[in-house]
Formats: sequence, C-alpha cells, structure tokens
Amino acid sequence: MQLALVGLSHKTAPVEIRERLAFNADALRTALTSLVGREEISEALILSTCNRVEVVAGSADDRSIREFLCEFHRVPHEAVSKHLYSFRNAEAVRHVFRVAASLDSMMIGEPQILGQVKDAYRIATDAGAIGMHLNALMNRAFAVAKKVRKETGISQLAVSVSYAAVELARKIFGELPGKGVMIIGASKMGELAAKHLKRAGVSSVLVTNRTFERAVELAKVFHGAAVPFEHFTDHMDRADIVISSTGAPHFIITKTLAEQIIHRRKNKPMFFIDIAVPRDIDPTVNDIDNAFLYDIDDLQQVIDANLKERMKEALRAEEIVEHEVEAFCSKMHSREVVPTIVQLRDALEKIRREEIERNRRLLKDLSPEQQAAVDQITKSLVNKILHPPIEQLKQLARDPQGPDIAGLIRKLFNIKP
Amino acid sequence: MHVVLLRLALGLYFVGFVHSVLTTLNKKQTFFRPALAAMFAGFVFHVSAIVLRAMEVRYLPLTQQYEAFSFFGALTALGFLIAYAKYRIATLSVFAFPLIFIVTFVANLFYDPNPSIPPVLRSNWIYIHTPLVILGYTALFIAFAAAIMYLIQERELKSKNLTRFHNRLPSLEVCDDLAYKSLAIGFPLITLGIISGALWAQSVWGDWAREAKVLFSFLTWFVYLLLIHYRLIAGWRGKKAAYLSIVGFIGVLLTFLGANYFGGLHTF
Repeated sequence: MQLALVGLSHKTAPVEIRERLAFNADALRTALTSLVGREEISEALILSTCNRVEVVAGSADDRSIREFLCEFHRVPHEAVSKHLYSFRNAEAVRHVFRVAASLDSMMIGEPQILGQVKDAYRIATDAGAIGMHLNALMNRAFAVAKKVRKETGISQLAVSVSYAAVELARKIFGELPGKGVMIIGASKMGELAAKHLKRAGVSSVLVTNRTFERAVELAKVFHGAAVPFEHFTDHMDRADIVISSTGAPHFIITKTLAEQIIHRRKNKPMFFIDIAVPRDIDPTVNDIDNAFLYDIDDLQQVIDANLKERMKEALRAEEIVEHEVEAFCSKMHSREVVPTIVQLRDALEKIRREEIERNRRLLKDLSPEQQAAVDQITKSLVNKILHPPIEQLKQLARDPQGPDIAGLIRKLFNIKP
Repeated sequence: MHVVLLRLALGLYFVGFVHSVLTTLNKKQTFFRPALAAMFAGFVFHVSAIVLRAMEVRYLPLTQQYEAFSFFGALTALGFLIAYAKYRIATLSVFAFPLIFIVTFVANLFYDPNPSIPPVLRSNWIYIHTPLVILGYTALFIAFAAAIMYLIQERELKSKNLTRFHNRLPSLEVCDDLAYKSLAIGFPLITLGIISGALWAQSVWGDWAREAKVLFSFLTWFVYLLLIHYRLIAGWRGKKAAYLSIVGFIGVLLTFLGANYFGGLHTF
C-alpha cells in the first residue's frame, strides 16, 4: 500500500491561504479526475472544508500531489509550501483517522467533520477516483470515528463552532428569548448554528438565500420567514444575530451597510457571525460601536479556551486511534502480503514445472523413483530459495511502519497484482 | 453602642473587601458566598448603628462627616444588595465591597463622641435634601460600576481574546440595562436633591448657597442630564453611555469628597 497525504488546516494556515486552496463543489469533480489522470496517482480523495483542504492519494510520494494543488489553483509553491503538511503510509492513515474522528478539528469532537468526510468520499466515489485502498481506509475511518464518539466524551463536551456562537450571543444579549437571528446563505454550518441558537431560545428566524426556494425550505424548518436575497438588507435590522455563510467571492456586508443597519436599530447591539470562506463580512465591521463580528478564525480563539477541558477526553481518543492505525496497517499489509506469498509460490512452481516438462525427454530413461527424486529436489530447491523472502514478507505484515517490500518483491519476480 | 455596632459592621465589610482584592488578583471568585453573607450581616449591624445614633441625637444623623459617610456606606451596601437580588451579578461585588468598606472606614475615622449640630442644619429640610442626594449618589455609583463592567466585557468581546474574567462578567445587555435603570433612579433623586437644597438655601438666606460643592453638583447634574438626553434622543447605549456615566461619577466624587477642600457649609 502506497499512501500519501498533503493538506493544510486551520492549524497551519490562516484563512487567507485556505481560501486560495479551497475547492468548491463544482471544481471538486474536475480536480479528482485530473488527479487520478496523473501517472503517479492511482486513486484519490479531496476533502475541502472551510477549515482544511486535504488530498489523500494512492501515490508513492507527496510531490505530485503538491504539484497538482499548486497547478490547479495557480499558486506558486513557495507561497503555500510552509503551510502544507505531508504524511505517508501509516502517518497518512493516522491523519485521516484523526480528522474523521474530529481530533484535528478546530473544536475537538465537533460532529460536522465526519459528515464532511463522508461527503468527500461519496463525491470521490462518484467521480470514480476511489480504489481498493482508499475504499478500505475511508470505511475504517468512519468506523473509528464512530468508536471514538461512543467510547469517549469528546463529542458530548464539544459541539461545534455553532455552540461557541451561542455562548458569545449570551455574553452580548444575556438571555436569547425575544432575540432574532438572520441566516444568510443556506449552508450546513449556518443551519446548525441557527439550530443551536433556536434551541437556546432565539424567538424569530429570518432566512435569505440566492435560491429563494432553498430559503423557504430552511425557514420552514425553523418556523421562520424567508426573505428574497435582493432585499435582505431591508429586513436585517430585525435581526440581533446575523449568520453569514454564502459562497460569495466578495463581502456582502460592508462596513457602510452595517453602520446603516445599526443606525436603523437605534444602536441596539448586533452580533455578526461570518462562517464563510472566503469571508462574507468586511472585518472592519467589528470597529463599529455595538457591532460584534466574529469570523471563523475568531471563533477558533474562543474555542481554544474550551479545548483545554476536552483535552483529557481527547487523549483517550488518541489512544483508540493509535490502536486502530496499527490494526489497519497490519491488516492492509497482510492483505497485500498473503496474496504476494501465494503468487510468488505459484510463479516459482510454474517455472519448476515448465523446466521439468521441457526436460521430460532427458528424464524419460530414469526410473520412477529417480523421477520422483528429481521432482522432490527441484521442489525443495524452490522452497529453500523462497524461504528468506517469505519470512521477510511475514515479518513485514507485523510491522505497519515497514517499507513496501511486497511491492519490491512483486517487481523483482515480475508478479502482476 | 452605635459605634460598637458600626465597628462590627466594618469588620464584616472587611471580609468583603478581602474577597474583592483576592478576586482581582486571582481572577477567580474564591469565597463569594461567605463574603456576601458577611456583607449582609454587616449591613444589618450598620443600619442598627444608624438607627441608634438617630435615637441618641434625636435628629437625622446626617449633620456630621462621620454620619454622612456612615449613611453613604449603608446605602451603597443596600444598593448592592438590591442590584444583586435582581441581577445576580457577583462581579458587581468587586467594585461595591471595597467602596462600602472604605466609606465606612472613613466614617469611623471621623467619629466624634460629642456631636454639636450646627444651627443652620437644624431644619426639617435635612430630612429631605440629604437622603435624596445620598440615595441618588448610591444609584449613580451602581451605574458607574455597571459602566465599568460593560467596558471590560465589551473590550473582551471586541478583542476576541477572552480571559477568564470574562466568564464572570454579566452580559453586555445586563450591564447596560443596570446602568440605565440606576441612572433612571439616580438622576431624579439628585435633581430633587438639588432643588430641595436650593429651597433650603432660599429659606435660610433667601439666596443660593454660593460654594464649590454647589457648583460641582450642578456640573455633575449637567453631565447626567446630557447622558439622559443622549440615551433617550440620540439612542446612545453601551460604550459611549458608559464613558459618560464614568465622567458623571467622577463629578460625584469631586462633589462629595473634593469640594470639602474649598470649605463652606457642606463639610462632609
């Protein structure tokens, strides 16, 4: 198994870099096709969320993935190289497990990431980019994530960015009953944040979206009202909390607009939550009196404080992941090793038989005992020759960090997988 | 007897004072409940002391520096207890407890066992003018503390760098609401206080009392008038209102304490 992973996340790159390397839903398919079109890459999966971009591929090294990322986004490698990390084989497996189990998330234990990983897997499968190895890896990753959630308390303690948003809203408004929220853009994250706010007591929900039908749909869920995207600013003064998560490439709430709204509200405070990448709300909105703007990175800062609490549970989760990585790797190795051993035996046995067959004429004068002896001698010759490489392969199956001897042996003996 | 009670109250207030100091240093409320109980017991002793004093001098005990400070301390304690009962803001104690302690402590320093009441203060106006002003100041002190809390919380939320202190501060809305309500109570009280003072002066001299304290109190009153105006008309709230509220309370302090240096009738 040859696995390479290249990625960047909120831990290594600021939003300015992440938004340059992010893949939107439309680009994902093209990207996957172009990835597996490369000679060095046999299978691939791309996970692109607002917090991370991860490319995991069946590939001998990370170089071609890095090349692909830069070429696809037309970014010079020097500009992003220090933000990118690379993992290979067992380390790549560990990273995938940790991401899926939400151990690498901004808020450890937040549940959305697993859904996002599943989506990424589905898209890659649809694009025909998933092969045997990634299939096994991803399915195991989902199982590990489930196990971690069940056996540790990390997801009971941690909820998500949306929970941090609720906490902050309480710090600004006190109690939330009587307050209104406006959701701009019908994204999963926005919906989840609104759900939490609603559960915390927010009274009214306004939804606006470029596709009006989607806004209506979402408004129904919250017993709220849908507002046409063209006129959403007319209704914004009714919202105390604004959650924006559109796919717009530029700011949709400028400082001037926010100032007007606050003025219309007679300076009643407003809480802007910008969870879009690229960002939807001009950062200078935070300079306005009585306006509080948190973008995705700001929420992270808040979350960091809570993270400490969750660290203990996370440690237990890490142990589970570690155990699973080992189990998965040895399984994958033995999955490769066992067929290799069988194929190796078959290949040499075939050579032996062919040689005996070819020399049948020379051996025909020998007595049946002598013929049997020749057969026995050649057999034991093959077995003696095969003994060290097979021992090496078996050894390898127990050592998940080991080199890819199976591949090497297959190459040496010209065995097709 | 009343002095013993007052000193008992002072001792109990000291517990609250220590609590505030420790809370500020550790950024952690270590023993708020016991401190609150001590403050409450202290307040009961304090009120008893004032009542006993009133019975002793057979007059409203507000003619001496000792009495004025003691009265102010007791009212601040009352104001805190009311605000706490309504809003449950433990953090308000960090501001209120030291003030209550210091004011009561100063009252103790000024204690004079043989009071002589200046003849000019022997008037029924004292029952109206002085309580109004001191009650008003107490309300304005609470508005001031709420403004400080608002500003700290606001800065934490804006900077996005939330310290541990942030979790114990009330929400912005509660701070602003408390500041506004205290102002709404305090302002009419000091307005009536000033009017009653003017009428009192009229009845004695047929004129205003021309002294620094009166001037300061006018200026302070004007600051609060501006604040009310901006809040009602211009829709000011939050930070700007908090700043002006702090300016107003500095005016109160100058009036109450500073003006004594300029002499005059209000030597307390």
